[in-house]
Parts: sequence; structure tokens; C-alpha cells
Amino acid sequence: MLYVQLIADGVVTGCAIGLVAVSFAYFYATTGIFHVAHAGIYTLCGYIAWYLTGLGIPFILALIASILCGALVGMFVQVTLYQTLENKGASPLVKLIASIGVLTTLQNIVAIFFTPNIVQFDLPWRLNSLTIGGVWFSVPQILILLSSVGLFAAVVLFSKYSKLGKRIRAVASNPGLAEITHLNPQRVFVYVIAISSGLVAVPGVLVGVDQALQPYTSLIILLTAVIAMIAGGIGSLGGAFVMSIVLAVIQSLSVAFVSGRWSIAVVFAIFVLFILIRPEGLVRRKFSRAI
Amino acid sequence: MNYFFSFLVLAEIFSIVAFSTNLLMGVVGIFSVAQAAIMGIGAYTSGILVMMGVPFPLAVLAAIAVCAGVNLISSLPSLRLAGDYFIITSFGTQLVATAVFINWSSLTGGASGLSGIPVATMFGYSFVTASQFAVLSTLALCLVALSFWLILRSPYGMMLNAIRLDEIAVVASGRKVLQTKIGVSAVSGAYAGIGGALYAAYISFIDPVSFDIHVSVLVVTMVVVGGARTLAGSIIGPFLLLAIPQALTLIDIPSTLVGPIRQLIYGLLLIAFMLWRPQGIAGKSL
Amino acid sequence: MTLTGTLRALFAGTMMVAASGWAMAADGELVLGALLPLTGPAAPIGIEEQQGVQFAIDQVNAKGGLNGVPVRIVFDDSQGKPDQAVLAFNRMADLQDVPAMITAFSSISLAIAPLATRRELLVVNPAAQTDKLENASPYLLNTIPLVKDEAQVLAKYATANIGKNAAIVYENAAAGIDGRDDFKKYFEAAGGKILAEEPVEFGQTNYRSSLLKVASVKPDFVYIAITQSHETMADQVGQVPGFPVAIGNTFSRPFFGYASTEGWYQTAIQSGYPDDATLEAFKTQFDAEDMGFFAREYFNATNIIIEAARLVTKDGASLTGTTLRDAIFKIKDFNSPIADIRFDTNTASRPVEIQQYKGKERKVITTSTASSAQ
Repeated sequence: MLYVQLIADGVVTGCAIGLVAVSFAYFYATTGIFHVAHAGIYTLCGYIAWYLTGLGIPFILALIASILCGALVGMFVQVTLYQTLENKGASPLVKLIASIGVLTTLQNIVAIFFTPNIVQFDLPWRLNSLTIGGVWFSVPQILILLSSVGLFAAVVLFSKYSKLGKRIRAVASNPGLAEITHLNPQRVFVYVIAISSGLVAVPGVLVGVDQALQPYTSLIILLTAVIAMIAGGIGSLGGAFVMSIVLAVIQSLSVAFVSGRWSIAVVFAIFVLFILIRPEGLVRRKFSRAI
Repeated sequence: MNYFFSFLVLAEIFSIVAFSTNLLMGVVGIFSVAQAAIMGIGAYTSGILVMMGVPFPLAVLAAIAVCAGVNLISSLPSLRLAGDYFIITSFGTQLVATAVFINWSSLTGGASGLSGIPVATMFGYSFVTASQFAVLSTLALCLVALSFWLILRSPYGMMLNAIRLDEIAVVASGRKVLQTKIGVSAVSGAYAGIGGALYAAYISFIDPVSFDIHVSVLVVTMVVVGGARTLAGSIIGPFLLLAIPQALTLIDIPSTLVGPIRQLIYGLLLIAFMLWRPQGIAGKSL
Repeated sequence: MTLTGTLRALFAGTMMVAASGWAMAADGELVLGALLPLTGPAAPIGIEEQQGVQFAIDQVNAKGGLNGVPVRIVFDDSQGKPDQAVLAFNRMADLQDVPAMITAFSSISLAIAPLATRRELLVVNPAAQTDKLENASPYLLNTIPLVKDEAQVLAKYATANIGKNAAIVYENAAAGIDGRDDFKKYFEAAGGKILAEEPVEFGQTNYRSSLLKVASVKPDFVYIAITQSHETMADQVGQVPGFPVAIGNTFSRPFFGYASTEGWYQTAIQSGYPDDATLEAFKTQFDAEDMGFFAREYFNATNIIIEAARLVTKDGASLTGTTLRDAIFKIKDFNSPIADIRFDTNTASRPVEIQQYKGKERKVITTSTASSAQ
């Protein structure tokens, strides 16, 4: 029973990380920018929803507002920063450093305007729970599961079938060609960052509801998501999502077999071996982007 | 003027580590975010040896040897993996190293660190205060900078540059790319080892947090802000990025928000720098 | 900008720092330093500590300062990083010329301890508890008992009254690891057995897998040594069916008041509240609901330094690290509503209580002082 519960817990955590990974991968595969500030948007959205529910605004409205705020902040970063850097011919590395600057800025804006403290949502229902087939879930965990799977499916369908989704894929696969065929890559990048920043708000808020909010720790979550993205094969949204769940389940289960103090090392050792044996990731995709 | 000298010493130590990163990242194109871990291995090696009674110069040599070896091994995957993958692999190296620093507590003192590392003594001189230590760190920095300059100027350096620009062409022209990369990794590791050994001797206390992922990212930032692939950049970057928080302490800020506001200004300055001079202060285009 | 230009600008900047610093120190005032983690994962605690110090200084100045001389406090951010702490220490020592400094965080205090010895500057630590602080420097005074003192009291009580099979959940940082090691040592010496030990990371908020594993080995009780995020852990303990009773240390206070933690035990360093008027003043000044443990301890520690400074100036001596330190040992007993502190060694000896959470109160079960012989 312990194992089943540990797996269930890992799956929920993995779904939340999966959404972070998918949203990050969507932007990264399109633009090639290592958008570390994504972690800052994750944190910011959680605190916005927390602040709004504190004012008595219904949770669902607070969630929608934080998604919108996330999208706006993302677009602002793309238009004012990444686009300017692109026009200046900056290397991906320079964009990465600028992104670190944005991350630091966002985290401290949260600390200054909201609070540097660990906070919890004042929502009575967040402690309610359900037992499904003998496995225990909290209500926020159920929400994380449903919303992650739903949003993941939505992004995949959007990317495959909608007109904008196809346009984004065209830009991603050949930016140079997209430029001369009037697909307007820079505008497409703004749409992509809006979508991925809006998406990352959802786990940002829901994980906060389930556990607690912290201004300074989202970088580790993002990096785990990035590992999942790479192991899953850059460019494959499905690979990123599945690998997130696999990694989270391994980490959760590993607690039962080795002392938890080695669990991070275990996950990484597996990852490094995996990457050496299968450098193209779980899902074979042709992708090379030097950073 | 201990404050001035303690700033100087720390900036010089980080310059040495920046040279290590610059050699890997800027010159060969191996992008690593694990240089703080290598520096940490140097710090622990030399710190532990000195505490066991080994003379400081020997401990430094041991740190250099160990770090050259570890850096070489941890760079091996880059021979097989392209850019993005290696960043994450090196991130893994960093996390594993931190886990080892924390959990091998019988050797490293664990999360509570190694305290009371003896003062550096060399040829009968003790480097106790910041101003005395500055002599030692300046000397070390000069040596590292000189060797960096020599490597860049040598035919070997030309080849390194060629590898970064077009590895396949270099292979095709019959040069030994593998040996070159391995050689550079070892030298880069040696630099980090020197930096680590000096750090341990100067601060006299080391713990896993001193060499975690944030420090690695800071060092990469230093190199990029200063200007990758340049000698001046590896010195300007660390001095500047360490000076900014110091200068910010002068601004009068309401006490409860002191920390976050300083960090916020730091973040904004970083963005501004990248917008103003993406190639780094002393840099050529990257 | 050329290289020389940059260096010149840097040098000019540093000189400016130095010049303004000297100007400040020349004023007729006592300047104290406080080196706290104001950003990073430990910031929530650092900021509470800062409020305690600021409040003490404001109270002193409202009452006319130190015999008419105003007291000023300089805060600096250690970010929880030792190298930043060394820089900040030198900055405060050189530019502000502080004779005494208040610190926080085990690694920070250990990193600046040798500097304190070298520069003969008093460092007062009101919160860090790692055992290594005991002999780190003759100039480092701890106003709080160290981990081992609490662990000793706790292990003795637990073996006699709760059970002999325990599991440990600890924070993978200095305080947590010391807690684990010391508890294990005293508990095993008393015939107890540790069935499992699980670390949690500083700043982590998902404890479910660790809690599940610990519960699955069915210990008589769980020893929990974490310093933050208790509310979240309490929520999640409630989500693990059949979680055993837990015991904790001074940091465990926020566990109190949850259905899931009913019947739990903790050791507590006796720490009371100041009188009502002072408490209200604090709440108003910082718009806070409570004066937390760290705020009270830092308030009290600051007052100890001020009291020592009073004695030094009364004797007509100059305020230095050495005179302040000697004054503290001369006064020896510092009694206030917050705590009765006695300095026989560098580490204060203070009574330790064992409390149990019963409904709406924390019931004091026993009170004892750790034998410093061990």
C-alpha cells in the first residue's frame, strides 16, 4: 500500500512539473531561449492568486486573473527584452543571463509587494480529500491531476490542428524561412510566451494551494522540468510530460528504497546514464540548437 | 582597510574560478554550470588536508590535481553530447557534488560545514589578515591570468578557437580534437582547484552552500558580463558583480525591505547590462 | 569603457564607500551591527529577527538612548552565504566601526567566528544552535542553548515515557542534522532504537513521501527537527493515516494548534513574552499579529548588549568588543520576562521545558536544564 500511495503522490507531483516542462518546452523549442524567468512567472502567479483570494475574490476568478497576469508578464518580457536582444544579435547565452536577471527581479518583486514569507491559501476546501480505489488524494491534488492532463491535451491539439499552432510549428522548424514568408516570427514568439506563461500559472497556483507558496524555490522545480524536457526529447511535448511523471515517480518511490538524502543523486545518475545511452531523448526527434 | 582587501581577495578568487569557466565555456565551447562544484572539491580537498596537518602548498597542489582529474571526468560526456544536453548533465554533476558534500559527513562535516580551517602558511609566512592574504591571491591570479594568456596565444589556443567555431573542420584536417579538449578540461579544473583552495584558506569555513548551483550560475554570469573569451573579462566580471551588492549597501532603504530591494536592483542591473552590452564589457561578439 | 576606466570607476566607488563610512562613525552615537539572512530561503526568519532587533533599538532610543547617546543599528544581508558574511563582517567592522554584532544562522556564525577572535569584536548569536558554536570563538556568545542541550533532555524524556523505537524526520541543513545526530546519540545511549531517518530539504513544501515512509516503519514516535514550513507539514501529517505521535524541539512551536498534531510533544527553551505594553507597541510598529519566537529572542539579545554597553560607559571605559564581552560576564545574569539567561560559559544556560499539545494549550510537563558536563 505504501508503494501505491507513493506512486500516486509521484504522479500528481509529476503532472504539475509536467505542465511546467510542457510550457517551458513549447517556448524553448520555438525560440531557443533558455527562459529561466519562467520560474519567476510560476512564483508570481501563485502569489497573485493568493493575494486575490485573501481579498475575498472567489478562487476560480483569482486563478483566471493570475493566468492572465502570467501571460501579460511573459509578453512584456518577450517584447521589451528578448526581442531587443534578438535585434542586437545577442547569443542564446546572453539571453539566458538576461533571463536570470528577470528571475531575480520577479522573485524579489514578490517578496517586496506580497511577502517574503511562506504562505498558505486561506481556503477551507484545500484540506478535503478523496479516496479512490484505496488511494488517498487531497482535493487540490485532484485538481492538479485533472487540469494538467486537460491542459496538456489542449496544448497538443492546439499545436497540431489550430492555424496558430501550425504557424508556431512552422516558425519553430525554420525561423529563417518563416521570416521571408511573412509568418512574422517575432509576433509568433509573443503568442507562444503568452500561452506558456498562462499555462505555468496553473501549477504555480494549484501546487501553492495544495502545499504552500515560497518566493525563492521555484528554480529547482523548473530545472527538474528542464531535465524531463531533455530526457523526453526537446521538441516533443508528450515526451516532456511523460518524463516529468516518470522522474517524479522515481524520486517519490526511491524514498522507500534508499534514504531520501540520496534521492536527488539517484535521479540524476539515472538521467546522466540515460542521456549518454540515448542522447536524442525518449522520443526521437531531430533537434540541434547550440546554446 | 580590511574591508577593501577582503573584497579584493574574494574578487580575485572568483576571477580565478571565472578563468576556469571562461576556458571551458568561452574558449572550447563546453558550457558547464558545475564550476562551483569543482571549486568546492578543491576547497574541501585542501581544507581537509591542511586540517590533517599537511603543509598548505602541498594541499594546494593536491587540490589542483584532484580538480583537474574530476573536471576531466565530468567533461567527458561533452565529447558525446551537444550544447543543451551538456548544460543539464553539468547541472547534474553540480547537484550530485552538492549531495556528496552534504551527505559524506564523516569527511566533509556535512551540511554544517567544515570550520576552523587553519590560516595559510607558506615558506615561513602566515597570511592571516585580508591584506596579507591579498598578496597571495594576487600572485595566484597573476599566474592563472598569465597561463590563460599563454594558452590563448599558443598554436594550441588557435586550435581551441577553431574547435569552437567548426569542430568538424578541425577533425577533418587531422588534428587531435579529443586530446585537446581533455587537456583544456584538466587545466580548467586546475584553475578551479586553486580558487577553491584559496577560498577555504581565506574564509576558514566551508559548507555545501558555498559551492551550490547558485554560485555556479553566478560565475557563468560573471564571465558573460565581463566578456567571454577575453582575459580582461574574467577579471572585470567578478569585480563588477561582487562590487554591485557592496555599492548597494550605501543606499538608504527601509530596514525591513533591505534584502529584497538590493536583490531587485541587482536583477535589474543584470538585465540592463545585457541590453546595453550583450557581448560583455571587455568582450568581442559572442 | 576601457579596462583602466572601469578599474578607476571601481576604485572611486570603493573610496566613496570608505569616505562616507568614516564620516558616519565620527558622530556621537553607538553603532551596532546585525548580520541576518534577509533574502533567500531563510529570509522569513531573518526578517522576523530583524524586527526584534529594530524594536529593541527603537525602544532604547525612545527612552533617551544609552545615557543620552543614541544607538544606531546597521543591518546587513548575509543571504545565508558564508563568503557574503565575511565581506559584510569586514564592511561593518571597517566602515561602521561596530564593537558588537548580532548574527543568525549556523554557517554564518561559524564563518565570522575566526574574524571575531582576530579583531576582538563581540558577536552575539541568539538563534543558531549547531554544536560547533560552543567553542568557535571566545568572542562568540550564544544566548540560546545548543542543539545537544535540548536533544539530551528530549531523549531522556522520550525513552522513559513514550517508547524506545523512534523514527527521525530532519531538515537537511546544519540545525536539522545536528538535531538528528545528537538525538540519536542520547537516545541510543538510553537504550532506544532508530528505525528510520528521513531528510527533508530546506524550503521544501511536499513532505508526503517522507511522512509515508516514516509512518510505514511503525515507530512509537517520530522526532521532527525542521525550522520552517511547519504549517504545511502539519497539513500533510493529517493526510497520512495512522501517523504516530511526534516530538520536536524549540523550532516546533508552529506545529501547535492543528488537529493532526494533538498530543505531540516538544522541548521548548523557556521564552516568555515582554510586558503587555511592550508587546502592543511591537504589534503596532510592525503590524504583526504576534511577537514571534525569533523577534523576542533578538529583542532580548539586543537588550543584553545594550545593558553591557551601559555598564561599560558607566565605568568610563571605551566601547570595544573586549569591554562589552567582559561586561556581559561580569553582569552574568540577565533576567527579563522573556528569559532568565546565565552566562557561565560562552553559551547561556537556560531551562528547557517539555510541553505537550493538549487542545488549546501547550501543557508544560517537566522543566529541566541540560547537564553541561556532557
